[in-house]
Amino acid sequence: MKMKTTAAALAASLGVALLGALPATASAAKDYLVTAARPNLVFVMDAKERKVVKTHTIPNTSLGNSPLTLVPSRDGKVAYVIHNRWETVSGIDLDSGKEVFRAELSGGDIRGKSPFPMDLSPDGKELAVYVNPTQLLPGEYKVMDPYIAIYRTDAGTDAEPVRRLKVPRRVSTLAWSPKGDTLYAFSWDMLKLDPQTGAVKGQHPWRTWKNGDQGEPDTLAVWPQWEQTNVFATPYYVTHANKKPGDPSALRAGIWSLDLETDKVHFKEFENAGVVLFSTVVNPVRRDETYTVYTQLTKVNTKTGKMDRVDLDHTYYNVNVSSDGKELYIGGTQGDIAVYDSATLKRLGNIRTPGGGDQVLTSLRIFQR
Amino acid sequence: MRRTDKNRALPRAFAFAAGLAAQLAVAGAYAAAPAAEALVNTKCASCHTAKGEGKWDRISEGRRTPEGWDMTVARMGFAHGVKMSREERATIVKYLSDAYGLSPDESAAHRYIVDRTPSVVEHFDNKLIGDTCARCHSYGRIAVQRRTEADWRKLVHFHVGQFPAIEIQAGGRDRNWFEIANGDAVVELGKTYGFESDSWTKWKAQKPADASGSWRLVGHKPGAGAYEGTATVQRTGDDAYAVTMVLRFENGQSETLKGSAIVYTGHEWRATLKSGERTINQIMTLADGGRSLSGRWFEEGYDAIGGTLRAVRADGAQPAVLSVQPAALKAGTRSRLVINGVGLDGEVSLGSGVKVLSVAERSADRVVLEVESAKDAVSGPREVKVGNVRSGDALKVFQRIDYVKITPDHPMARVGGNGGSMNKVPAQLEALAYTVGADGKKGTADDVALGAMPAAWSFDNLNKVAAEMKDAKFAGRIDQNGLFMTNDAGPNPERKYKTNNAGELKVTAVVKDGTRTVKATAPLIVTVQRFNDPPIR
Repeated sequence: MKMKTTAAALAASLGVALLGALPATASAAKDYLVTAARPNLVFVMDAKERKVVKTHTIPNTSLGNSPLTLVPSRDGKVAYVIHNRWETVSGIDLDSGKEVFRAELSGGDIRGKSPFPMDLSPDGKELAVYVNPTQLLPGEYKVMDPYIAIYRTDAGTDAEPVRRLKVPRRVSTLAWSPKGDTLYAFSWDMLKLDPQTGAVKGQHPWRTWKNGDQGEPDTLAVWPQWEQTNVFATPYYVTHANKKPGDPSALRAGIWSLDLETDKVHFKEFENAGVVLFSTVVNPVRRDETYTVYTQLTKVNTKTGKMDRVDLDHTYYNVNVSSDGKELYIGGTQGDIAVYDSATLKRLGNIRTPGGGDQVLTSLRIFQR
Repeated sequence: MRRTDKNRALPRAFAFAAGLAAQLAVAGAYAAAPAAEALVNTKCASCHTAKGEGKWDRISEGRRTPEGWDMTVARMGFAHGVKMSREERATIVKYLSDAYGLSPDESAAHRYIVDRTPSVVEHFDNKLIGDTCARCHSYGRIAVQRRTEADWRKLVHFHVGQFPAIEIQAGGRDRNWFEIANGDAVVELGKTYGFESDSWTKWKAQKPADASGSWRLVGHKPGAGAYEGTATVQRTGDDAYAVTMVLRFENGQSETLKGSAIVYTGHEWRATLKSGERTINQIMTLADGGRSLSGRWFEEGYDAIGGTLRAVRADGAQPAVLSVQPAALKAGTRSRLVINGVGLDGEVSLGSGVKVLSVAERSADRVVLEVESAKDAVSGPREVKVGNVRSGDALKVFQRIDYVKITPDHPMARVGGNGGSMNKVPAQLEALAYTVGADGKKGTADDVALGAMPAAWSFDNLNKVAAEMKDAKFAGRIDQNGLFMTNDAGPNPERKYKTNNAGELKVTAVVKDGTRTVKATAPLIVTVQRFNDPPIR
């Protein structure tokens, strides 16, 4: 325990990377995991080596909260992370640890907070951040309309939005389509926005979803982890009105997915709701296979509904998958990222993140270098 | 300007460190009203515009309990950087509680949230308000506030600004929460818990009562049983008192508590008393023009451990029977019976089927008798009379215990300790005995509650999942006074998923009734720490 604390203190006091540069050539392409942890840490891990290769610190932040959503650029050079009580977005250079981008969502008498939703444009030039602003007036707060702030990623450390898009309240996810022509905003329904104007081009029903006797489905989609497939997937629970009260099949669990490339929705109920399901990732090779975590790791074939499940050694919130689809990385708690075989659901190992701080609400992302 | 505040969380410890009376007692005397008004101008008026005559923007548009005001004032410190000494905070809270408090009537139905009664299952007076607000905090927290509709609306805006996940949490994301909260819910709040009330207008016009003098008290502490005693209250300043209380429990133990009390809003009695190393907080109401005092007390840091108390003036007050120990007699038995009261004088009568054999001891505040209940005495309440003083139904006679209920109905305990910031929260259970009454049916109006009985306590797993998780092995232990104490907080490496020592238990109480036994069970939920545990939850 002492060594971990010392390493974190060293990293925090120096504010620099502890190890050398990451490989920069595409020929040596390896999977790297990137995540954040309390209070101000960003970790880069060599997935196959099962080790942390970089520990960076987020500068000038509130130390009381966990960093929130983290989005790495597709080239794996910069990770953008919401922090500072959700009021700041920083871009951290993953080689040097230097803060290369910083946007304050608050300013003047406005307190702006981003409760999770953030994504990069596929060309990496723009960053979309959902902001809930509140005006702090003398003696009272005034809730203002939320907006999506679009920043240029080369705007430096005093970034201001280049445009603001109107958007409904209650957005939990932003996901940019790989073609760059749609910015999905998951509000009461999955909205398809024009990333230039914010115009609503269409939607995939969620609240307005009509499907036999089903009621309104429920999900909390706050874990972006679709970079290996461009398929957004989330577990959901749904009631069925035709079932008698007390019938276990009155509340079902399923996986809902949206292919961000083809704009196609797929969903599959696979069991009566019995365990807690937090977040889901899709296998990039066997694309019908999804993996969902909490205190179990659950594999669901979303075509057949076939389900396999193993109990985990503790609770996990987020899950990601290797480029070859063979390994799963699960994290979120206890400074512990476990590695599982995606075919057998056997545990292969784990990576301990130093510093004693948990990931909590941040993301577990993957990139290749 | 960078909106970065690395140390914003620190003063919160100060905010909720101690009970209200404790912090005021430590602080010493608070300033009198004119000085307090000046202090509100100094500390608050830069944001809350002064309107004169003791009115400020927002401040004078809401009314609260003393704890409610203390939470607001404390938040101005840790969230908005207002610098206050303890004395200044105490002065402001006292002043605002007096000027903008709740009458006794207005908080009567929701005392449980102020006095921290454990494991209360709430009833929503208004469904929309409950559904919109009580998914995150208690309904009672709302019901012990009064605001103008405009101020309720501002409170909704504050919530969205302060708690940014409010719209995506369960119970928020399935509806247009902000629109509902800011619309219909605010209208209902203004109607149901509006600022203006006749009750408050009348209460404010009353002359404040003086609590000083000598008092006779009775009470009940779950786990220890009935007690009786005395109190001496001496005035030390405006609404400030030095207090000495002596409590004599029916199990033979007694204790002396000493400390100080402050009366807010003319009736909100807050005392902090020491008994040896233990600190006791009292949250009570001074009523009847200062002639009675009642409420709950608990151990500081362990508010699940405590009792109820009722006191009346012992000095020149009207005679009264306050309690009878034991409160229930089995038919066909001989017992020692104690009547506690004030001004007790004259012949004792215990109702049909109960005979006084002898008087062992007698004074104005205590009569000790040898009594006998007839074998054929009819089950039911008895009026206890001493001279002309009548007790109502202080004594019950029973042929048999027909059923037992565990109370609280839905007990909850919390893991804690283990070096963490939160204490364990135990559950103090009691086995309440009943007879079915003349109709022979359980659960009807003529059932007679006989009070708490000694019981043999045990517990097991509540259900199949609990059994698989071995909850009963890990969650805690229970003593024979019905006190369930949880195990340590934190991940437990011995448990599946390394989960903590939470669990779902079924607790059983077996009460003896002669040679028979009567059993009751209740679910007991052992859950995780409540890390945010403000004075009003």
